[in-house]
Amino acid sequence: MLNALGLMADQAVMFAIIIALGSAGIVALFMALLWPRRWQLHYRIEVFFAALLVVLAVFADARSTAAFTAYEKDLPRGDSLAGVPDTGQDQDAFDRTVRVFAFQWGFAFVDENGAASRNAVKVAPGQKVLFTIMSNDVVHGFNIPAARMTTEFEPGAVRHIWIRSPDTPGKYLIQCLNYCGVGHSQMKAWLVVDGAPTES
Amino acid sequence: MALPTADEIAETRTLHWQPRNLLGTLTLKELLFSNDYQVIAIKGILTSLVMLGLAGLFALTFRTELAVPGIQYFGARVYITLLTLHGMLMVFGFVIPLTLSVCYFLMPKLLKLDGLLWSGLAQWSYWLLALAAVLLLVGRPDFTWTFYTPMSLRVGGDLVWLGYLAIVLVGISEFLAGVMLIRNALAWRGGLMTMPLMGWAMLTVGAMLVISTPALSLVGTLLLTDWLGATAMFDPAAGGSTKTFLWMFWFYGHPAVYLPFVPAIGILYSLLPRFLGRPMWSHVSAIIAFSSLFLLSFVVFHHHFQPAVTEHTWVQRAFQILTLLIFIPSTLHVFNWIASLWQGRIPDSARRAVPFKFAIGAIFFVIYGGVTAFINAQISIDTDFIHNTYWIPAHFHAMFLGFCAQMAIAGIYFVYPYITGRHYNQTLANAHFWLWQIGIFGKVTMMFLLGLVFFPRWVVDYLPLTEWATPQMVLTIAANLIGLGFLVFVVNLALTVRHGRECSGDPWELGDDIAVPAGTPAPAE
Repeated sequence: MLNALGLMADQAVMFAIIIALGSAGIVALFMALLWPRRWQLHYRIEVFFAALLVVLAVFADARSTAAFTAYEKDLPRGDSLAGVPDTGQDQDAFDRTVRVFAFQWGFAFVDENGAASRNAVKVAPGQKVLFTIMSNDVVHGFNIPAARMTTEFEPGAVRHIWIRSPDTPGKYLIQCLNYCGVGHSQMKAWLVVDGAPTES
Repeated sequence: MALPTADEIAETRTLHWQPRNLLGTLTLKELLFSNDYQVIAIKGILTSLVMLGLAGLFALTFRTELAVPGIQYFGARVYITLLTLHGMLMVFGFVIPLTLSVCYFLMPKLLKLDGLLWSGLAQWSYWLLALAAVLLLVGRPDFTWTFYTPMSLRVGGDLVWLGYLAIVLVGISEFLAGVMLIRNALAWRGGLMTMPLMGWAMLTVGAMLVISTPALSLVGTLLLTDWLGATAMFDPAAGGSTKTFLWMFWFYGHPAVYLPFVPAIGILYSLLPRFLGRPMWSHVSAIIAFSSLFLLSFVVFHHHFQPAVTEHTWVQRAFQILTLLIFIPSTLHVFNWIASLWQGRIPDSARRAVPFKFAIGAIFFVIYGGVTAFINAQISIDTDFIHNTYWIPAHFHAMFLGFCAQMAIAGIYFVYPYITGRHYNQTLANAHFWLWQIGIFGKVTMMFLLGLVFFPRWVVDYLPLTEWATPQMVLTIAANLIGLGFLVFVVNLALTVRHGRECSGDPWELGDDIAVPAGTPAPAE
């Protein structure tokens, strides 16, 4: 299954950058401690180094923005409960649209036909699923590790995320990622992947 | 820049760096109420260490619960109360006041002041913070150290209001400390460009404190009035806004992460030249890094809650760019430290000195944990596996514990001979050093691994998955090593304060293996 953000290649590059930077720093530190040779660095080297960091920041901003913009392209917009679009061309891009109500401490799911379920939502393998999420009590999180997607939402707001459901049937964890009260540890649900794979 | 002469170096050492048994001659009344800067520093250090002991004990208690899946010893409410007290006491009661207290001791000596100007403010700051700590321990709030609304208005017992009041007092306490630090930094008469880097650190953190802490006190006040029903600022159900809370709290909360970081940098800039016997590689680079860190520190806070509140696209992107850029000044500091180590021989006396070892450990962890800031800033990756998984505590434990706390401990080992007239026990100090390096590395690494597999923050119980349970067990063992190291540290200080080897002269005199050429800047600067 692909990350909905299409980030796997980008993440590999970003991890390579931080591993390279971190390793260079730690090697330089240990060289200073253990290697007898000494250097008097020219100030110009630090200027080049700072310029390199600026270039990396510009690159990271560009990649992150490109990935997130592409991801958000299909998402409907809406900042309030009243603004939730029930139908619309945006949602044609998805195989399923599911409304999620987060509460202390669980998730209720309402599908396109108005059928409700608590702490479990059933989808077919490989489906592109839009979740329209809201909370009416406190700030909650909504994270599906298998889909590598997280969002958080304050009470009264509506947040949209979409995922590509896993190709392999099974039960996949959905969890709250923001402390929301004493029952936070128990605030889990399941993405149940079952049925025939979806062609896409 | 006018550099001090060799005679001035000798004079500085004689006047300011004379070991004596200050601690042993203090009466209890003097310790509690004297406005002498050294006494205020000693009081702050001792109190912060008590806070570290308490907060560490809370951590080891809930770590024991988290070592294996399931509920073993206590339920969610006890867990989150311990976690809240751990976070609040570590941040407000230990790492910020300890780094500042070490700086209170060093600053007048380095800035050639007779003492701390306006030291009464430091005294008030101390007592208000002590009162806040007592209120927290009595109130036992269970709303985490970030107390997001409306959750924080709907939890806790009848005494939860003491927690809100404590937040107000912490803000006032830190504000007073900030005013005093700015006053003392500006007392430097040699011009800003020649001001010792400790002065720059104090000017930077003082300005951060003065600008950011009113927001914290205001948040605490509004939490209290919301809870009382007099206002409805932060509860959407009553017409308020969580978004307002997030913007107000994190306006304090992000500069707040630099409140221990900047003083720790100041301690490092003070200790390295002293041990190496030469000035830092670049004074100007450090000033540029301090200034840019200060300016950027107020405009990056949105990254703490970027998946929680969507703003206009350009606002989100602006915060992402600024957060990526703030990586640079911190990196320039690290560059400066390593370049300083590279540019000449490292004396054997430095290699033996435990403060120097802790400084090296701190530099290691600021690289190891700090480099991840580059990906944390990116909204797309943050929305993937970073936000509110264990990846975040991994990052801030590397910075707070690995860097800030270790630099404060380096500072304590450094000032110890000056306040007791005795040396610490080298063997015990070495044991402390290695227990902490292994423990902190294990702890931070396990937290990073848990973040990669989406382990959520703030949970007392978790699914029995191998990829979650194994790192949690190792993490608990690593945390106990840190606890053991702290115990060794306390035993060392307790034993040597009366029975340690007496100092016969400057405890940090450069070794015979390095010569200080005439005209070299005072090592302390």
